[in-house]
Amino acid sequence: MKKTVLGIVLAAALPAAAQDAYVVGVSAAMTGPGAGIYAPVVDAMKAYLDHVNARGGVNGKQVRLIVQDDGAEPSRAAANAKRLLAQDKVVLLINTSLSSTYAPMVAEARRAEVPLYFGGSVCPKDTYPPADPLQFCSSAFGANLDSQGALAFVKAQAKEPVRIGFAAMAIPIARAEIDYAEGLSKTMGMTPVAKQISPPPAPDYTPFATKLKDANPNWVFSWSPWVSQVRTFEALRRLGWSGRYLTWAHLNAEDELARIRDGEFYVIGTNALFQDDLPVHAEIRAVTHRANLKYPVTYLTEGFIAGLVIESALKATPWPPTPKKVLAAMNNLKVDLKGLRGGPLEWTRENHFRIRQHYRVWRWDPAKNAIVRVQDWQAIEVKR
Amino acid sequence: MQLAVNIAVLAAIYALISCGYVLIYRVSRVLSLAHGELMMLGAYGLAATASLFSGHPLVAIAASIALAFLVGVAVYAALMWRMTGESVLAAVLATIALGILLRGAMVLAFGNQTQYPLQSLGWTNASIAFGGSARVSAAGLTLILLTAAVYAGLFAFLRMTRWGIRMRAAGQNPLLAAQRGIRLHGVYALAWGLATLTGGMAGMLIACDAGIESTLVTIGLKAFPAALVGGLDSLAGALVGSLVVASAEVLLIHFVDPLLSDVVPFFVLLAMLAVRPWGLFGTREELDRV
Repeated sequence: MKKTVLGIVLAAALPAAAQDAYVVGVSAAMTGPGAGIYAPVVDAMKAYLDHVNARGGVNGKQVRLIVQDDGAEPSRAAANAKRLLAQDKVVLLINTSLSSTYAPMVAEARRAEVPLYFGGSVCPKDTYPPADPLQFCSSAFGANLDSQGALAFVKAQAKEPVRIGFAAMAIPIARAEIDYAEGLSKTMGMTPVAKQISPPPAPDYTPFATKLKDANPNWVFSWSPWVSQVRTFEALRRLGWSGRYLTWAHLNAEDELARIRDGEFYVIGTNALFQDDLPVHAEIRAVTHRANLKYPVTYLTEGFIAGLVIESALKATPWPPTPKKVLAAMNNLKVDLKGLRGGPLEWTRENHFRIRQHYRVWRWDPAKNAIVRVQDWQAIEVKR
Repeated sequence: MQLAVNIAVLAAIYALISCGYVLIYRVSRVLSLAHGELMMLGAYGLAATASLFSGHPLVAIAASIALAFLVGVAVYAALMWRMTGESVLAAVLATIALGILLRGAMVLAFGNQTQYPLQSLGWTNASIAFGGSARVSAAGLTLILLTAAVYAGLFAFLRMTRWGIRMRAAGQNPLLAAQRGIRLHGVYALAWGLATLTGGMAGMLIACDAGIESTLVTIGLKAFPAALVGGLDSLAGALVGSLVVASAEVLLIHFVDPLLSDVVPFFVLLAMLAVRPWGLFGTREELDRV
């Protein structure tokens, strides 16, 4: 009887004791809608952590990243979170998926009291100050801040009164942002003339662009998934509209600027482009080459940043790791992003987003036949 | 004028896709719910041949068109042929399974990044002035012209050629057609080949206009109401149904609310099902409850 009890106790203790590595779990949209945005982030994150492991790991221990595909489905994300927490005993849970998967993962993370880090997915408002104790985010997007940065750029560039149009995809997060931008534009002395919301799968964006063009804006701002942003722009151009178009720099922005080659198509973002040619870009290239990733290297900055954040958080977590120790480390974290953003990523107990959000703007220069920077880092304080 | 051009382009998209639904249903009474995926496969086929025959755009296009037709024939030979004699529901379920399989296979084979076959072909999607104030993209204009040519060709084929008449006979009474020596499997395979060809061409042209996204498959589903509104066993009905749905969609976007564009095809469909379930040009006795 004693032997049996001892056996049960040992079996229960074994998974934790046998883990000679920092175990981190990811639920990501590796397939399904949005996989084009999320899968490169996860692959780059994994490639960076493999690179860290090859150099000896973190604090002399390996980092084990377990990736589960949720196909952007909430039910699968919930099942993944349950499995990662109960079976794999992860000390950190990561979400790289659609916003519809947030609620079930937050619920599971709360139940297990494990920190939940949004790496590559849109930062929920709960990470802004005053932050939810368990939720953290490093993704480039920043609701409301992005519109503030974008409209400040428009105001700085415009030499004539701004008649601005807005375009977004009919998904809650994009509609909310574009509604905010519309209201903000009025307070900044601009005249909002039209707002077009298009459904996610539109066979032809021309009918939406026609209405936008008829309102005769000299600027259009769009904040949505790339497909909606760029199709609306291309439809506007084909209709003969000659104004300026500002939009969010998604993972593929650099390649798309070179494809579209329009001098008045601007992208605003928080991650440096490869044309900035920083030393860290050579490192990303080397890691990508070693991991034999199938994506263009320009898609991988966001995942590399997530890898840097995970490495820093675990480095500040003393061995043996527990979710509580990881949480303590994340509540006081400063990550050197090596120039990939305008400054370091800083988290405090109050702010799980970042202290400052920096924006750069780029466009295609037809004269130089190259991408040029139109605005260098502009910081916006992230306040309560 | 621009509104009329927008309606024409959208109607052409829906008509080119929905004629595939009609061809298969009219000949074999099977509703293919894998049509969106087959359309997307046609688009990926063009992307593949464009990079394979780099510098030879016409060869690439011809190869992708031939490939789309062969894929349709292969689908019949490998899967739908085995459904002969089974219930209509079993055949419909088989097409759903095929669609799921194709979706997964396309992600594995082509990845999930946006692809631009027009760029690989070395062409640009120029903007063409139309009338006084309207404009249309080169891909949009090609869609309109191709749809007109496809429908004219299909009408001629079904009325004037031996295989076309066999297809109509097999659709009207398969037992009698078989007794008269018509090889039904050959006719059905041809219908699947033609349906995949037309759907594939729609996919190719949408891809040339806007690139290939994972959402392309949903556009195939949006054309389904157009086929039903016109009458699922009528090619002329598919054409008119597409025009009705596209007009409602474009006019509501412009004059009411763009958000309605997503629901209006299905609203028109519901209205039609309530008033005339067999569609504008459909045959009343051909309705099956599935």
